[in-house]
Amino acid sequence: MSDDSHLLPYARRADFKVARANELTGADRRFYRFLEIVPGVASWATLIGIVWASIYASFFAAYFIIAFAIYWVLKTIFLSYHVRYNYKRLKHHMELDWGRLIERFKCDDYYHLIVFPYYQEPQAVLDDAMKGLVAANYDPKKLIVVLAAEERAGTEAVAQAYAIEKKYADQFGHFLVTVHPSDVVGEIAGKGSNVHHALHNVRAKVIDQEQIPYVKIITSIFDIDTVIYPDYFNCLMWHFMTAEQPLKSAYQPVPLFTNNLWEASAVSRVMAMSSTFWQMIMQERPEKAATFSSHSVSFQALYEIGYGQVNVVSEDSRIFWNLFLANDGDFEVVSLSYPIAMDAVTTGSLWGTIKNIYRQHRRWTYGVENWCYLVYHSTKNKNIPLRRRIVASVNMGEGFWSLVTNPIMLFILGWAPIFLGTREFHATVLSYELPIMVRNLLIIAMGGLVMSSIISLSLTPPRPEGYSRFHYIVMALQWIMVPITMIVFSAIPGLDAQTRLMLGRYMGFWVTPKRVQ
Amino acid sequence: MPQEPQIIGMSKRRRNLFFWTLVLVFMFLLPAMIFYTTGYRLTFDNDTQTTVVTTTGGMYITTANLEVDVYLDEEQIKQPRLFRNAYYIQNIKSGQHRIVVQAPEVHTWVKELPVDSHIVIEAAAFNVPTTPRLRPITKYVTSGGSAVYQTATTSEAIFGTATATNAYVFATSSSVADFSINPEYEFVETLFGSSTATTTSVFSQFLRDMERFRFSSPEEQNISATATAPQIIERNNVELLSRGLELYAVWRGPADNVPFYFCVTNSNASTTAYRYGQHVADAIYATSTATSSPIFLIDDQTCRTEIKLDRLRQDVYLFDFYPGSSDLVLLQLEDGLYVTEIDDRAWQNIQPLYQGRDFRTIIANDIIYIEENGHFFEIIPEIES
Repeated sequence: MSDDSHLLPYARRADFKVARANELTGADRRFYRFLEIVPGVASWATLIGIVWASIYASFFAAYFIIAFAIYWVLKTIFLSYHVRYNYKRLKHHMELDWGRLIERFKCDDYYHLIVFPYYQEPQAVLDDAMKGLVAANYDPKKLIVVLAAEERAGTEAVAQAYAIEKKYADQFGHFLVTVHPSDVVGEIAGKGSNVHHALHNVRAKVIDQEQIPYVKIITSIFDIDTVIYPDYFNCLMWHFMTAEQPLKSAYQPVPLFTNNLWEASAVSRVMAMSSTFWQMIMQERPEKAATFSSHSVSFQALYEIGYGQVNVVSEDSRIFWNLFLANDGDFEVVSLSYPIAMDAVTTGSLWGTIKNIYRQHRRWTYGVENWCYLVYHSTKNKNIPLRRRIVASVNMGEGFWSLVTNPIMLFILGWAPIFLGTREFHATVLSYELPIMVRNLLIIAMGGLVMSSIISLSLTPPRPEGYSRFHYIVMALQWIMVPITMIVFSAIPGLDAQTRLMLGRYMGFWVTPKRVQ
Repeated sequence: MPQEPQIIGMSKRRRNLFFWTLVLVFMFLLPAMIFYTTGYRLTFDNDTQTTVVTTTGGMYITTANLEVDVYLDEEQIKQPRLFRNAYYIQNIKSGQHRIVVQAPEVHTWVKELPVDSHIVIEAAAFNVPTTPRLRPITKYVTSGGSAVYQTATTSEAIFGTATATNAYVFATSSSVADFSINPEYEFVETLFGSSTATTTSVFSQFLRDMERFRFSSPEEQNISATATAPQIIERNNVELLSRGLELYAVWRGPADNVPFYFCVTNSNASTTAYRYGQHVADAIYATSTATSSPIFLIDDQTCRTEIKLDRLRQDVYLFDFYPGSSDLVLLQLEDGLYVTEIDDRAWQNIQPLYQGRDFRTIIANDIIYIEENGHFFEIIPEIES
């Protein structure tokens, strides 16, 4: 019998780490299955509804589209305002000497546990991640580094971990290589199960043996392509020490996909920077945020929920919702507004890059599974204030719905009444003014892209040798692709993911190959 | 060095303020935009020195020729086109408006149409060249593709008042060793060789058939009826046919898809006559009681199923759709080849494409070929941009 006395009361529930409806029984199973169907139905109903309304209620559809286009412009202004503000904060944070800022705190007894799960990434990627840690302005002896390999990746991939251990182990306080066994019943192969295994091992082999209090460990779960900026741990420490509830907070940096930005194709750069901008927006709206990709959290908090789930695809966000629910809603995201560098998706060919970006975003947007999880548990955990449950559920649901429907409505279905409308509609001024109005509003909304272009250029790493200045022009102009990338790499993969969930064709974890081997 | 970061996260109050400001902007913009897109405008009335809300309509003009100027009530339209070949003219007060589409070296297209508030009225303009443009098709061509005329005559004699669009040479020698056979010539020659077209007036043919029909026996009548079935040409559900001594364009498709010029806004006869012309009102109200070609209602419009084509009181030797169009008709009349629109609102614009009395015309593969004085030509109905 497993000892779950360390778990928070809500985390002891048998269904606490449910991933799919088929893991439940009876009414719970039916309810969860219903929730899995809702996002897909909502998105499809919206899109089909627009087409239907265009044919049978053209005037209503036209008014709706005008309202939606205005909403889009204002949303662009709203989000751009947040990006611009966070950009200033990010730049400011990058200029601060965080080492001096944390001098006033007593944090000598704190440790940073850094977990790097990986699969078959090239040695250079692992090497870069370690170099980032070595170069950090932080006492390396306070770092516990875990390189979490996958058995299923093969002996060569595992051997890489030991080679890295041999090279870097003596530079850190502790260094541990873990090998996550393959084909464990109840797990899906992926980052979540690997991290879970690594955390178990490091607790047993390092933390408990060294008798380090869990509350004194800040855990950073980093994608293997994460290269930290030198003051990351100082910045993290400052925010930890100044947080209202340090143990009940997750710390979210801003991922800059700049490691290989110069080698990446324009479409990859746009998607990478778009993801960065979205995270910058969320940095200014932490109450609406969940953790994403590489992030940090107290080990104590993780231990209290039995670590993250081993059976979900979007484990980076799910861990936040696990913590949120287990702590009865008393858990939040703290924005670091400090960058970490990661890889943009690149492969040897443009088509390969496009396919991988699509798959990566389909995996990300499969995070809609978290909505089912949140709503399901919101009906179970009455200790969470009702308003908080509703707001969190509605925010997340609206986010996934708009991710899928908004680009398609704006750039494709916005014209539907013109092509599908009734004869009576076609004879009206409204029919002719609609495309002009929508076009003009979109042009105004595109103004946000100018700002995106400027900010992205300022976040671009220095130009390496062999790249002409012409690349800067391409990098500035690449943003005109946004209407297409929003549809191809956000809306369609999102719809794909929601449809799979709706049909019960559950997705597995797919490792994004980011750098050319 | 500061002890704390100087830029803290955006406060919730600030974000809320910004959010609700944008909500207010939305609440203001939405009705304003809806009013605007449905045709309402704020205008300043000089007489009363007040700002008043007026209602407007629009015109949607497609042009077959891209390089044209469009005028509304003598004022040139400078606003950008909606599409390459389409003008959407906004902010037109309700009433009768004159639209002119013109360009150098093409015939001018003019129409007077009624504009109603909130409604856009459509029209399709066309402009054929004032000087006919011919592409010579000769039996032989040079290695460079130029047409070869084996004659000592001058180009004026061959092309008359028309201009040639392609290079051609004269060969005074009968030797053709330096030239190659033009397969297109053979094709066109076959076309004209196998056709009896355009030597007899459509109406003469009709009258002759009627005469024969009158004196024939009942058995012969059946044969004749079959033999003299009126020529019908169909494209996109529009049929061109001769009936009696007139030509008609008849809509055979579903009512919902009837072209705009078959329909007029519902009103009484006098209003229809004022808005679209007496002939349209007559046609609408004459056919309203007919059983063969009844009128029908779509939304707030009354639609006919047939429109009589203007033949300038001349005999028709050939009629067919203008290449690539089911809104325009090609007519070979006594004094030349004409293009006319089916749209008879206000009047039918009819423009000469090629003048002459002794030439034959064939349309094949959407190309207009003529044969005159033993020479073959293709008529190029457009001016290159």
